[in-house]
Amino acid sequence: MIRLGWTEKWTLRFAVVGLLCLAVAGFEGTLMRIDQYNADALRGMEALLNNIRPVAQAPTQAEVFYSMLSAHPIVGIYGFAYMLVMGAFYFLVPFLLQKEIRHKILVPINFWLQIIGVAICWSSGFFLMFNALYTLYWPLPVAYDRVPVLGSIGFTIGAAIIMINILLFSYNIFSTVVSKNGTQQYSIPAFIRSAFGIPRLLKRLGREDKGAPNMDYNGMPVFIVAVGRGSIDTVINAFVLLTAGALILVFGLAKLLNITLDYTAIDALIYKNWFWWGLDMVADGNVLMYTAGVWYLLIPLLVGRRLFGENVVRTVIMVDLLVSMGVWSHHLLADQPQPMAMRIISGQLITWGEFFTMGLTIFASMMTIWLARPIKLTAPLKFVLGSIFGFIMGGSAGLIQANTGLNVVFHNTQWVIALHAHAMLLGGLSCLLFAVVYAVIPMLTKLEIRSQRLVDLHFWLWVPGTVLMTMVMSRAGSLGMLRRTIYDASTYTPYTGVAIIGALLIAAGFVVFLVNIIATLGLANVLSLFLPESWFTRQVREAAA
Amino acid sequence: MEGNHVMDVRERRWLYLLIAVFLVFNVITFSPLVPWQQWLLWSHPAPNKSFSIDIADYQMHFPAGGISVKAGEYVEFVATSRDVTYGFGVFRPDGTLVFQMQVLPGHQNRIIWKFDKPGTYDVRSTEYSGPQHSAMHYKNVISVTP
Repeated sequence: MIRLGWTEKWTLRFAVVGLLCLAVAGFEGTLMRIDQYNADALRGMEALLNNIRPVAQAPTQAEVFYSMLSAHPIVGIYGFAYMLVMGAFYFLVPFLLQKEIRHKILVPINFWLQIIGVAICWSSGFFLMFNALYTLYWPLPVAYDRVPVLGSIGFTIGAAIIMINILLFSYNIFSTVVSKNGTQQYSIPAFIRSAFGIPRLLKRLGREDKGAPNMDYNGMPVFIVAVGRGSIDTVINAFVLLTAGALILVFGLAKLLNITLDYTAIDALIYKNWFWWGLDMVADGNVLMYTAGVWYLLIPLLVGRRLFGENVVRTVIMVDLLVSMGVWSHHLLADQPQPMAMRIISGQLITWGEFFTMGLTIFASMMTIWLARPIKLTAPLKFVLGSIFGFIMGGSAGLIQANTGLNVVFHNTQWVIALHAHAMLLGGLSCLLFAVVYAVIPMLTKLEIRSQRLVDLHFWLWVPGTVLMTMVMSRAGSLGMLRRTIYDASTYTPYTGVAIIGALLIAAGFVVFLVNIIATLGLANVLSLFLPESWFTRQVREAAA
Repeated sequence: MEGNHVMDVRERRWLYLLIAVFLVFNVITFSPLVPWQQWLLWSHPAPNKSFSIDIADYQMHFPAGGISVKAGEYVEFVATSRDVTYGFGVFRPDGTLVFQMQVLPGHQNRIIWKFDKPGTYDVRSTEYSGPQHSAMHYKNVISVTP
């Protein structure tokens, strides 16, 4: 048995639950692809599962498919990615700043609220057949002839819990960064001013406030700068999604009370603009800044050289924050009532701001590695390179579709969800989180990763599997295969078949990863994270006797 | 120089390359090299014909006389939804996509198109509107003659 500290234990707990969620999301994704490939393949399983669904009528195959499709991104993003980010940040932020988490009580609260929120969203899909997808386009979530009212209420409550939890997490991170050994050093508003570069601007104007926190030209670690600036987007995202959720909840509760509310009172276009403005704070904001921050943290540690162009990347992170606030119209390029000027400026040109910020981020990361030659290609460094590759692949696809001309043939096709979203999530973000796991476990436990061969196998199953799955579906999408659409036997069936092979490679890579991690930590240590310590102590004592 | 705010010369060259890619890609895709940009973005021609498509309760209602157009003429499609968001997508018989737009309720959703190849075309909803969305597929509803 290894002795783990309080923080280390909680970080590993977040990681274990996050990885379980990744497994669930992957299983769901594969089931949906199998359903697309052969509509009869899963009938037996569906009939069995219908026995435990508390609905009067057995749901149709399409209802099951779309309910799963609604739950899938919640489990993947908020169950997997956010759980791992929370666990990693709760270890790395205090570690880098050499001080404790400001509100320790919030750590287990964040852990449980995230699990509860994701479980409620998932259950609203699985049991109550909520099927309005994560996009929640108005007025679909309140169109109760299509979406069950209880499912709509359940999903909204689950999502609200997640968003409130994210606000609590961000508050804890902010207050940890601005606190100094228990005494407030800076106020949060001062920190936010710093995130937007106001102190730097004042310095340029000759009115420098030397007492103000500053992210641009003092010793604050660049990872903390990325976390601070990225968390502003996290907070805005949570706030906007909460308002959308509250609206849907009001309609749901009114329906239960037999009060009819007029859904046309809410303009679908304004709602869509508001919703995507908030959602893109994650999709085009914090994920890029957090990712950049983790690259800037891990790469210098792994190659033993200071980050290339460190002061430039601080500015790049701030530009990323500003860009993320103006890109949302790329989701509305196919909406003809959206003014063309908005589509061109916000949807296309500002979105290209990410090309510059990510381009410079990747350049700084790659230059750091290049200048540190010769380097040892360790497990985390391999996955850092994998994540850079994933972001290049997914980011390029994103820029191609965020285009007033090309979006006419790419909007809502498999191109968008495969080569953009899943390349970003499975290639970019997941590889990055694997790199963090491979780097942080030895820091937490003083144990070396058990098998480098299994690390290689993990890499060479996961990355090519992702490339195969996303490339083949992007080809189908570029021809016109729609996302969110169930196809009977069609031109696109063979593409789906090949994508299933890619998914199986990804799944095999994940199993290899789990085997290696459990072999590194020891099963007893993993179980001890979730079982009472006294029970384990007794077992060890009895074994010794 | 590394270590201060001035960009390293290598990084500056990389930035110039990024700017070049940005300019080339955007100039090309705003230009009529993407054929439909010529009329969607630049010329805004008066359509030769206009067809209204009314959508409600998962059903698309096409004009009574059908949709018959000539290759090379500008046609306007005006889609309206009476309940939720749908999509209006035109597909070739083999399932490949010609063009599409979103159909937002409470708004008139207009797009002008010029078909260049004669034949028949399908229409299907390109946006999820509820569990019966995938069945919103109408075969051979557009006829394009030479």
